[in-house]
Amino acid sequence: MGERQSGGGSTGRRRVHPDGMASGHASPHITGHASGPTVMLDDAALEALLSAAVLRGHRVDAEGEQRAVAAFRAARDAGAHRARTRRRDDWRPRAQRRFARSAKTTLSLFVASLALGGAAFAAIGSSGSSDAPAGDKDGPTESNSAPGLPAAEPSSAASDAVSGKPGHPATAQDTEAKCRAYAQVEERGKALDSTSWQRLVTAAGGEDKVAAYCAEQLATAAAKGEPSKEADGGGATGNGQGSKDQGSNEQNSNDQGSNDQGPSHQGPSDENTSGKGAEKAEKAENQG
Amino acid sequence: MRQGGEPRRGHAHDGELGAAVARAQEGDEAAFAVAYRLVQPGLLGYLRGLVGDDAEDVASDAWLEIARDLARFKGDGAGFRGWSATIARHRALDHLRRQKVRPRSSALEQDVLDLPGAYNTYDQALESISTEHALELVRGLPRDQAEAVLLRVVVGLDAPAAARVLGKRPGAVRTAAYRGLKRLAKQLGVEGVTDDGPRTLGESK
Repeated sequence: MGERQSGGGSTGRRRVHPDGMASGHASPHITGHASGPTVMLDDAALEALLSAAVLRGHRVDAEGEQRAVAAFRAARDAGAHRARTRRRDDWRPRAQRRFARSAKTTLSLFVASLALGGAAFAAIGSSGSSDAPAGDKDGPTESNSAPGLPAAEPSSAASDAVSGKPGHPATAQDTEAKCRAYAQVEERGKALDSTSWQRLVTAAGGEDKVAAYCAEQLATAAAKGEPSKEADGGGATGNGQGSKDQGSNEQNSNDQGSNDQGPSHQGPSDENTSGKGAEKAEKAENQG
Repeated sequence: MRQGGEPRRGHAHDGELGAAVARAQEGDEAAFAVAYRLVQPGLLGYLRGLVGDDAEDVASDAWLEIARDLARFKGDGAGFRGWSATIARHRALDHLRRQKVRPRSSALEQDVLDLPGAYNTYDQALESISTEHALELVRGLPRDQAEAVLLRVVVGLDAPAAARVLGKRPGAVRTAAYRGLKRLAKQLGVEGVTDDGPRTLGESK
């Protein structure tokens, strides 16, 4: 043991231990022999031992301190102490950091959702702008009419031929919306397999008649156009009329076009109900 | 007795340190000197474990950076220990990288091999373990264990803070520190003491 000391212990070995270490080593030493479960204490004691041993060898380095303080003074005077806090400089307790970060995150999420929501709203508004005003006023909205559609379309068409019902326009607008969409997805096959397209095809009376059917529907929609939507519906109306001519020809050749079909096609500004009624009557005829 | 009266060394002055840092951030250089005195021992111990005899030079570099960037720092006393340890570690790694270019034989590792074997009692361990010996033992550990032990025991960081300094998960640092301490305990013969001691609680062996 003596020779062990003479080897390495000469440099930093001192008899005087800091208080914390003395208590740290004494208690496990005693209890360690008195009772078994000393493993936990040993860890703590070992930590105390280590930190005491390492820190014991520290001598105050006045020169280093002076250098550090001088550097501090220089940085302060040079204005370096107005630098921004980087993320790696933020050592606040986790909760505070998380709060600061979450506030920032929340704000950016909010802004992002506003932007996305706005974009989505604009998209909806542009595709459904033409049917929104009318649908709100005179009948069930799309969500109302949607569940009843399969049964409603043929039957309401038949009954509406006799008497104009308030539920009717919504269906027509629905069809109209589908027609507009149809023009866009025509080339891309699969969308047309879905139920609602099947419904449209059924209503038109065949896949090849959809274009004609839609042309009529759009023309009708344009015909009953209200002053408020004429401005922005102009483009759609023009399209409808462009394809309408073919459509009406086809229709005429198909079912020996009835007489009262005329006014609805020729006069986009014609009175609403009569044109509509005529369309429906014709449709019912088509399907029947 | 769960070592309640034994605060981890670094934590003892954290309140004082936090106040000093706050004042220093307002430009009080005396407060900065106080912070230096509170942090430097642990920092130097950590650096000695990392770079050996060059620790003082590396610490000096680190303090220049700490002095320059002090205003960027946000946090309390414990946070300041972690922040300064991160800076010191970066300087130490830079130093080691430079050193790798022109390596030199380290006499220290030879000393580790010459270390005496297990001690019989804590008393002997404590009396015979000098600062150098303790550091040599720690340096004999795998690098991650050594750093984890030093940061937790000598610098006085808790597991999350040590993990942040090392860029690891707290769980990994906890495990590394635990293993390192176990190994040190074995080297110091501490386990021999408990194993040989009479087991009055009837624990089966």
